[in-house]
Amino acid sequence: MSADAVPVKGAGKTYIIECAIVSALYAGLAWARHWLIAQAPNHALAIAASIVPSLPIWALFFVVWRYYRRIDEFEQQRFLETIALSFGIGSCLLVTFAFLTDAGLAWLDITWAWPTLAVSWALTSGIMHVARR
Amino acid sequence: MKNALPRLRAERGLTQGDLADKLNVSRQTVNAIETGRYDPSLPLAFAIARLFKCRIEEIFEP
Repeated sequence: MSADAVPVKGAGKTYIIECAIVSALYAGLAWARHWLIAQAPNHALAIAASIVPSLPIWALFFVVWRYYRRIDEFEQQRFLETIALSFGIGSCLLVTFAFLTDAGLAWLDITWAWPTLAVSWALTSGIMHVARR
Repeated sequence: MKNALPRLRAERGLTQGDLADKLNVSRQTVNAIETGRYDPSLPLAFAIARLFKCRIEEIFEP
């Protein structure tokens, strides 16, 4: 093990709570982003306001990274397998959908990319959990 | 990889949870090693060997 403090007891519970908080924050900010930009008195602040919804995604990245550092080697291996599989599936789904828009399917806002990956991640985690029993 | 972990643990009256605490890993990790679903890293294998006062090859068998 790389550090004596690993694994951290309750890391999973903390991770789920933090993920829920930043995801809710992201959903709210992504929904309100046009309003946020409209409130900016000048162009510079409008640009600053436009990137505010991305902050919870950066926070989520930190949450995921910290959780990874707090679990032991076996859990890390399973965590990485699940991420690789789910992000592969999620990315393929997004690209496939992007090409389907050429055939007239509704255009999807870029802000849906992360929720799509997150749903793919959650579903893959559940499937892998059952498959590993 | 086959291993003698369940036997060694039982001889000392340890539960998987007790062993996990001593090795500073989760109980799931101990279970995965015992059932052969996971091969531990060298540092963890050495920690297991030290704990049971055995050589690594006395515990793990390819």
